[in-house]
Amino acid sequence: MSEPLAEREGPDAPQAGLAPSAFADLYTRHSRAIYYLCLRLLNDPGKAEDATHDVFLKAFCKQNQFRGESSWRTWLYRIAINHCRNLLAAWHERHMLSNADEALWENTAARTDSPLRVVEIRELGERIQQALAGLPGEYRLLLLLVADEELSYEQVGALTGQSADAVRGKLHRARKAFIVRFRQTE
Amino acid sequence: MKRQTKLTAQEQEQLDARQQQAAAAAPREFASVEEMLRHDAQCTPVPPAIARRLEKSVRDLPPPPARAWWRRFFGS
Repeated sequence: MSEPLAEREGPDAPQAGLAPSAFADLYTRHSRAIYYLCLRLLNDPGKAEDATHDVFLKAFCKQNQFRGESSWRTWLYRIAINHCRNLLAAWHERHMLSNADEALWENTAARTDSPLRVVEIRELGERIQQALAGLPGEYRLLLLLVADEELSYEQVGALTGQSADAVRGKLHRARKAFIVRFRQTE
Repeated sequence: MKRQTKLTAQEQEQLDARQQQAAAAAPREFASVEEMLRHDAQCTPVPPAIARRLEKSVRDLPPPPARAWWRRFFGS
C-alpha cells in the first residue's frame, strides 16, 4: 500500500479478492461504523482501536471468503461482533441481567414518546456509554445496529440470529430500557 | 470606510464564534434513541493510528503459500 488507508475514498462494490487499494476504500467507507460499534460494545477507546485494527486485518486476510451474499458492511459487522464477543468473554466483562433489573424497566413509566434532551452535547458520549453498559448485551447490540441506517431489519436479524419481526419486537423494549437508563445518567 | 468594512468583518467573525458557542451549549433534542446514537457516531472520530497500524500490518503479512505442484498440474 503506497498511501495511508484513511486518505482514500471510493465505492462499495462487493467483489472477492480486493486489491490493497480497494481494501483501503473499504476501510475508509466502513471504519467509522466498525470503530463506533467496537467502542460502545467494549467501553474502552484503546480496546476499540485494537479491535477495529484486528477486524479489518481479519477481513483483509479472509476477503476471498466473502461471496457477496451480504454487503461488505454486514460482513465486517459480523467479524466485529464475533471479535468483540470473544474479547468480552475472555475478559469476563459480561454482565448478567437480573430479573430485578428487567422488572425495573418494565414497571418504570418511561416517556418513550418525548424527545431525549441533552444539555451538554460533549457529555453525550459518556452518558450513552453509561446507558448502554446498563443494558443486556442483546439490547445493546440491537440498538447499535439498528441505528446504522445502512442496515435493514432483515440484515440486523441476520447478524443477531433472529427474524426481522423478532428484531422489531425486541427493539421496543430495548429503546424503553435505554431511555430509562439514559435518564438515570442525568 | 475601508476601516469600517474591516471592523464589520471582525465583528462578523466574533458574532459567528458566539453563535457557534451558543449552538454548542444549547440543549439538543433527539426524537429517538437511534437518532441520538447516529449523532454520537458522527461525533466520534476514528483514531488515525488505526489506519497506520493496519497499513503496516498488511504490509508485514507473509506472502501466500505457493500452490502445490499437483494442484498446478491438475488445475485445481
